[in-house]
Amino acid sequence: MTISNGDGDSAAKDGRRERKRKRRAEPSLVKWKTEGEQKTYSSKLIEALRRVRRSSATGAASAATDHSRSRAVREAADRALAAAARGRTRWSRAILCGRTLKRRVLPRAGRPKPVGPARAAERSKPPALKTKARVLGRLVPGCRKLPLPSLLEEVSDYIAALEMQVRAMSVIAEALSAVGGAPSPAQTEGPI
Amino acid sequence: MSGRRSRSRQSMSPSITDEQINDLMAKLQAVLPEARLGINHRVSAARVLQETCSYLRSLHREVDDLSERLSELLAMADISGAEAAIIRSLLM
Repeated sequence: MTISNGDGDSAAKDGRRERKRKRRAEPSLVKWKTEGEQKTYSSKLIEALRRVRRSSATGAASAATDHSRSRAVREAADRALAAAARGRTRWSRAILCGRTLKRRVLPRAGRPKPVGPARAAERSKPPALKTKARVLGRLVPGCRKLPLPSLLEEVSDYIAALEMQVRAMSVIAEALSAVGGAPSPAQTEGPI
Repeated sequence: MSGRRSRSRQSMSPSITDEQINDLMAKLQAVLPEARLGINHRVSAARVLQETCSYLRSLHREVDDLSERLSELLAMADISGAEAAIIRSLLM
């Protein structure tokens, strides 16, 4: 449709282009703050916690240390959080892939990056920023070798997601400590 | 549409401009809690990165503490069907 209709057509084209650009832009951070997202995450987390409880009970119940249990809880929480991201971010995909990069010591990890001989002039970022950016990249799963703009996008999304995770886990902990005060199983069959 | 400009291709230029860095830092600063940097616009990029790192670490610590607390609560009493229903109603 190449008929130039004056303002109407160009405005429509701009609208479409604007929408196209927005869709390819960074994932919105707003969703991590909505109540709906937090509730969905909380229910998924509760189900995962039940599984953790069940698996640690059927295994060596007395040998299950507090540390291994809390680590299992942490991993379940992180995996549920990554699933909530629906695969649109690197950190979430890295977590769902089992975070193998973080746990395994890569042979290349210790070697310092070789400075390109002719590229020195192009490096306009001061080294202080580079170091800090590298530290930041290590804190976010799956984001070690990311260039700065993509890294910062991942970081913003990761931070927003973590904040929701903290809120949701606090609510669940409060609810559990209020409800689960009676450890005896007989009381759980109460009138509900 | 011939006007398809991919943003990702632009950012792969060899050197990133100072303006781009400031832009990104401003966006990152907006995500950090206000108590960390104030509403001060004149915070250096290095400071923003540093505060982001420390904020991330504190968030990780909080999640670890909450995981510990949850695992202790779980050890005391399993989440039976009735309790799960109660919790879900509390969340609604």
